[in-house]
Amino acid sequence: MTEMKTMPVNTKAINRRIKSVKNTKKITKAMEMVAASKMRKATQAALNTREYAGLAWDLLVKLSKKENESLPLLKMRPVKKMLVILITSNRGLCGSFNSNIIKKTSQALADKKNISKHRLPGGEEIAGSENIEIDVIAVGKKGIRYCKKMGYNVIAAYTDISEAPKLDNIMPLSKTVIDDYISEKYDKVVVAYTDFRSSLVQEAKLRQVLPVSQVDIEKMLSDIGGQDFAGQERAEIEKIKVAEYLFEPNKKEVLSVVLPRLVETQIYQALLESCASEHSARMLAMRNASEAADEMIDDLTLTFNKARQAAITQEISEIVGGVAALE
Amino acid sequence: MIKFKIVTPEGSVYEDEILQCTIPTQDGEITVLPNHIPLVSILKIGEIKFRDKDGEHAIALAGGFLEVRGGNELIILADNAERAEEIDIERAEEARKHAEELLKKADQTADIDFARIQAAMERELNRIRVGKRWKNLR
Repeated sequence: MTEMKTMPVNTKAINRRIKSVKNTKKITKAMEMVAASKMRKATQAALNTREYAGLAWDLLVKLSKKENESLPLLKMRPVKKMLVILITSNRGLCGSFNSNIIKKTSQALADKKNISKHRLPGGEEIAGSENIEIDVIAVGKKGIRYCKKMGYNVIAAYTDISEAPKLDNIMPLSKTVIDDYISEKYDKVVVAYTDFRSSLVQEAKLRQVLPVSQVDIEKMLSDIGGQDFAGQERAEIEKIKVAEYLFEPNKKEVLSVVLPRLVETQIYQALLESCASEHSARMLAMRNASEAADEMIDDLTLTFNKARQAAITQEISEIVGGVAALE
Repeated sequence: MIKFKIVTPEGSVYEDEILQCTIPTQDGEITVLPNHIPLVSILKIGEIKFRDKDGEHAIALAGGFLEVRGGNELIILADNAERAEEIDIERAEEARKHAEELLKKADQTADIDFARIQAAMERELNRIRVGKRWKNLR
């Protein structure tokens, strides 16, 4: 009986809930649509970079085919200190996007021996060591928070890179990375990013940036353009006789221009992939939220109707009771 | 006919068949005609001029490298490139002024920033030059 008495108040409260859930749904719906359009732009940008990356890589393969020039960006050193570029998002509400990349990075960094080894084409390896120092460059606010918690040394943080990054945005970053590698401050640089497979599948990944590694760039190229792209280009190179090429001013000069570009492109590509992944993760999270809101509204409406009906029934029975008492 | 392609890290700028192409390389300007030998060269800031069946066209280039492949293929990997008719001269002028102001303010001892702004200014100047020249041609 006590429950019945409180009904009129209850319907009001329920009504308020419904209204607030409806408002929330409007927001999540709008965010979903914004994320979807941003995702489309970001994927297009990532696709656009692929061609450049592929062609620059071809050039490098041609250049390093005959003699292996000993350029600083190609030189492998035993790893004592390494740098991780961790790409996360600035904002939340994007599902497990940030936790996935952070989990993957933690796992990889915990296994110091594995991450500090160099892989050579053909499956050979140069062993790593247990005693390495790790520094981090954080891109995105979420990554900074994680690094602070884990006690990694953050040497630089970039939180002002826009949602549609341009190559200019990462120039300061890639310059730091290249300079520090040449000055032997770091012996290996990896980038932790989220690879965009499709709007439903994204995968957290770590890729080596420096020293410029054949294994990693080839993997990245085959990842992005689909296997055909890389495979076909490779076959084409075989046909062209490298010896016929003329290099102006000379091979070493050309290499020293191509290599930094490749590093830049690789970092840029990683950023674009992460960006596309972030937006698609947010889109999905917001779609789930909208669906949950729909369900909630249905449930609440049902409860509201029941409560209203109960209140009416009670009122009638009270009136009938009153009339009966008068007679 | 040469298969001509110019790509930047931000995407493809131009792709078509052309008759000849003049490119500013580090060692001086070169013109690529059909049946050129395979060549790889470093490019500097300047103007790419090429001729196709419709006439002459221009592209503002901010450095990069080129590759001539056997089989009449010319590929330019540019740091940045823009077709002359698409250059917004007013905005380029603004960007140049902005760079100029920064340059005045910049501490000359911090040479990294200085070099970067200077490069930016040179790039904008080149865009303006190419854009204006193209307008005068029309």
